[in-house]
Amino acid sequence: MTKYALAVDIGGTFTDAVLIASDGGSWTDKTLTTHDNLLDGFFRASQLVLDDAGIKLKDVNDVVAHATTIVTNVLIERKGAPAGLVVTSGFRDVLYIRDEHRYDMFDPQLEYADPLIPREHTWGLDERSYADGTIGKTVDEDDVQKIADDLAKENISSVAVCLLNSYRNPQNEHQFKALMSKIAPHVIVTLSSDVAPQMREYLRASTCAINAYAVSTTRPYLNALMEHLQNEGVEREPLIMLSNGGVIGAGVAGTYPVRMIESGPAAGALVAGHVARKNGIDNLLSFDMGGTTAKACLIQNGEPLVTGDFEVDRRYRFKPGSGMPITVPSIDMIEIGAGGGSVARVNNLGLLKVGPDSAGSNPGPACYGQGGEDACVTDADVVLGILDPEHFLGGDMPLDRAKAEASVQLLADKLGVSMLDAAYGVFSVVGESMAAAARAHATDRGVNYRGMPLFAFGGAGPVHACYVAERLDGTQIIYPPMASVLSAYGTLVTPARLDLARGGLSRLVDIDWAAVSPLIADLCAEGKAALNDAGIADDAIRYDFAADMRYVGQQTEVTVPLAGDPRDPDNQRELRQRYDVAYENLYGVKLDDMQVEVVSWRATARGGESERRPDIELAAQSAAPKTTRKVYIEGQSMDVPIFDRASLSVGQEINGPVIVEERETTAFILPGWRLSVHADGSLIANCD
Amino acid sequence: MAKLDGIELEIMWSNMISIVSEQARALQRIAFSPIVREAGDLATALFDADARMVAQAVTGTPGHINSLAAAAANIIGVIPAETLQPGDVLITNDPWMSAGHFFDITLLTPIFRNDRLIGYCGSTIHHTDIGGYGVGAGARDIHEEGLWIPSLKLYESGKPNETLHAIIRQNVRTPDAIFGDLSAQVSSGKMGGERLNAMCDRYGLDDIGELSREVISRAEASTRDDIRKLPAGTFHGETQFDVPGGEAITLKVALTIDNEAGEITVDFAGSSGPSASGINVVTAYTHAYSTFAIRSILNPELPNNAGSLAPIKVVAPTECIVNAQYPSPVNARHVVGMYVPFPILKALAQVVPEKVLAEGSGAVWTIQIQGRSSDGKPFTSSMFNYSGGMGARADKAGLSATCYPTGVAAVPIEVLEASIPIEFTRKEIAADTGGTGKYPGGNGQYVEFRLRSGNSWLLNALPSRLDSRAEGLFGAGSGEPGQFLINGTSSSEAKKLEMGADDLVLMRTPGGGGSGAA
Repeated sequence: MTKYALAVDIGGTFTDAVLIASDGGSWTDKTLTTHDNLLDGFFRASQLVLDDAGIKLKDVNDVVAHATTIVTNVLIERKGAPAGLVVTSGFRDVLYIRDEHRYDMFDPQLEYADPLIPREHTWGLDERSYADGTIGKTVDEDDVQKIADDLAKENISSVAVCLLNSYRNPQNEHQFKALMSKIAPHVIVTLSSDVAPQMREYLRASTCAINAYAVSTTRPYLNALMEHLQNEGVEREPLIMLSNGGVIGAGVAGTYPVRMIESGPAAGALVAGHVARKNGIDNLLSFDMGGTTAKACLIQNGEPLVTGDFEVDRRYRFKPGSGMPITVPSIDMIEIGAGGGSVARVNNLGLLKVGPDSAGSNPGPACYGQGGEDACVTDADVVLGILDPEHFLGGDMPLDRAKAEASVQLLADKLGVSMLDAAYGVFSVVGESMAAAARAHATDRGVNYRGMPLFAFGGAGPVHACYVAERLDGTQIIYPPMASVLSAYGTLVTPARLDLARGGLSRLVDIDWAAVSPLIADLCAEGKAALNDAGIADDAIRYDFAADMRYVGQQTEVTVPLAGDPRDPDNQRELRQRYDVAYENLYGVKLDDMQVEVVSWRATARGGESERRPDIELAAQSAAPKTTRKVYIEGQSMDVPIFDRASLSVGQEINGPVIVEERETTAFILPGWRLSVHADGSLIANCD
Repeated sequence: MAKLDGIELEIMWSNMISIVSEQARALQRIAFSPIVREAGDLATALFDADARMVAQAVTGTPGHINSLAAAAANIIGVIPAETLQPGDVLITNDPWMSAGHFFDITLLTPIFRNDRLIGYCGSTIHHTDIGGYGVGAGARDIHEEGLWIPSLKLYESGKPNETLHAIIRQNVRTPDAIFGDLSAQVSSGKMGGERLNAMCDRYGLDDIGELSREVISRAEASTRDDIRKLPAGTFHGETQFDVPGGEAITLKVALTIDNEAGEITVDFAGSSGPSASGINVVTAYTHAYSTFAIRSILNPELPNNAGSLAPIKVVAPTECIVNAQYPSPVNARHVVGMYVPFPILKALAQVVPEKVLAEGSGAVWTIQIQGRSSDGKPFTSSMFNYSGGMGARADKAGLSATCYPTGVAAVPIEVLEASIPIEFTRKEIAADTGGTGKYPGGNGQYVEFRLRSGNSWLLNALPSRLDSRAEGLFGAGSGEPGQFLINGTSSSEAKKLEMGADDLVLMRTPGGGGSGAA
């Protein structure tokens, strides 16, 4: 029997759907995102692909997978129901005081995002735990009763609890939750020790508050999704894409919305990992460039890197530090203000600057003809001849070449160079800033970026990837198929995954393995339960283990992958050596005289590898170029052949410079590169 | 190489800034010193072969970043460039050569390309300990304040200078942390050099001479142009505040704008004389906070380098608290140094009223604790700090519990409680302590703590502005002074305090001044 898997990705502008059949059939479509009720768009886009395939929703007998921007929207628009915050008494202003850091030292005009939960909805609780795990004062039921009364008065039904030192001992938080569940069972309680069991009270409180604020919106949303699917006869619980690159059942996901903030971008990075594995590539850099920003993510050993900290809702000029910090596992991505709509200008030092401000989609670049006058990256691409003004979005949205030229000419006058040189300047400055960001990101993580293949997608990614690759000494670029619905596709190639951690502070030399053992068993049991819920059988679940370690006296840990289950004595050896290697890799130094300690143990539980793969139809015969166009490349005007992507056939090879056009994007391959067409529908460019 | 156009220059300039920014981030992540790791008390910079600063990371505190600008030339003045070999690493913590007190150790790594010196990587970080008095203003001369490291080679051709290593190890209380952090500085300098060479490879450069000249001259020209747009004249500003021990300090400036040359001169004549306690400020540090104040108002978006700093001159008479002379103690120089911007802001309020901000709480309040834990083991905490309220901006309120001029973060309570036996009982905004006005000043905060060791302990605390207020601007109200209470009784001492096992410390940091009549 044919099995059908359905995926829906709700992004800021479009809702994408992908349906894949086990016999290789695939259908994709997109509709505009329905912001008033996101689920309308979900089912509208689903219906489009189901109709194309001639099946009904109830015929979807494999998974329904979902990536969504709902949490980010709730946080940025601040339209969620009010939430409460409970902290150790004496620390009510933790969200206001932050970490006291002024993130831009030179700019006295800076601003911060307002706390999600205001002071009047924050309660101090008379309790205390200490850093050594001992409890100074337990929680009184009377105090919880009083807070429950106040919550009822304020009509608040979701509360975040962040008590001092709960990362070390969560007992008081657990006690609070138990009491609150008894007194006011309808109140949703988010514990900081559950969502972010990490030291540093502001980081933990911020993460916990975000979860409590978003949960009132996401839980009903996911419940409605589950109910609707069930009513339509879909048996399996839908899977939700998480920021860490795993999927988990909608029931569990609804309780932890803070884990799904980067849902869509994570799915995109996962396809990169998937394609890397399929092509036998261990390491690559996924590069997604859209209208306002570019995102890059390192794939190592076929998997996207995951980080513990990121930030949401940057309020002041997109500056790091102006948003709300979050400490949960997330795909480790850099996002920079460099997209097709990024504005180019000459500053008072005579330097050509591109971004981070964007003309957005309205008015957009000058060539959109909607009143924008600033030269943008897309304008430069048109002037250079890379983009065909008549072919933009398959011709649905013709661009105005004259307006693009006029805007770039203004830059050229200020720089004292020709219009074409100014356009190539914009092209190279934006490429360079993306390459610089990628270099910094890789260097920070101890990863050697030189020669790493690039995986290019997004509307502007394939236009600029080749230049960026050259700046990173890269020799290979992959242009995947299904690029326009890549995130939706990503949710289907993703094994279910849950990342878990438990604190277990001990010096390496003193580790009591008998005490570590039950802790690891707990982690595995929790991971197994969640994966079982997502429909994964026990024998398909794999576990990976890691330890967060540091030199005694430091407060920042390095996550060191272990050879296997630490309950096995074979895997207990060489911890120090593994740490030294990881540390030296990151920081270029190791400190032989210093003691090393383990801070926490990590386990990742994963479901089996998915084999859902669409067959991409390719032309039977090698195509000839449909036309040629003059393109200005580094001081030279060249005749460049133009191909339709759909006309290419497997095995076809074309020397650069060459341009390959499809509806949503254009791949621009520089001289010196050779493009080949692969059976899975990917285009791969190589240079020597 | 051919003359750089605005496109190539932009690309390479951003490259150099990203090299030093990455160094700073890596240093901060691996630091043992909590004040570096949690608060960002560090600086990194790239210098050309003439030791002129060409790029700098934007990090936590003006005191470090702008004094590092001068440190490279000072060190090379002692150890001539011709004597340098690949693998050398230079070191100093001389207050007059670098950042104004012994805790700040500056490392300078020469960068070679094809056996030719093309520049230097420099970093300054605040180390956990340097022997001597510890954090605080109580030493009577500079020699009581700790280990003085002249400009020396910490590494020679890649080999550690064993004599110097042994001397440092023997003279500090936390040698493992110091050497952990020094190693991080050494490796960061090495990586910076490699990355600069990789950049030169990418763009086919033999050196960064031409690039550096272009960067510095454009930054200097831009700064001069900005100054030329201001009215000429001399404008006066004055600020008063009290420091530990109750001493009242006055800082006066005459700020002269020469709008033909495009230069600003800040003259501290008339300010208080030298202090007997360790709050004297070396000129490098005075210069750092003065140039910072002007740059943050005049052109905050321009990257910091030798060119953007050149048009700003700072002078002070010899007998002056902001021009410390040997052997004056200087350990707690930030207590005065962080007030240096305020008289300058008041002078600038007459020139660019729409861009300035009111006086804020001043220096962050810094604390260090020494004692014995319940099992009798001695401990020394790192320095930690808390902010009062920032002054209101011309059209925005001041930020609460946030400092201007410095931008350092506070060390989280949980980090401190995990490292020493301290218990915090309160950390909350002190409502209504900011000055009233159309735009109110930022509020100060309450911070309350005690120790859990059951033993007596030593407290080094540096509160300021306990009697004086941060003045409001344009008719607004002033901020409330701070309070420093031990068991409910006010205290202001310049020296270490001996504390009983159960003593409770309550601080209320000062509020910032408001802006505009309400």
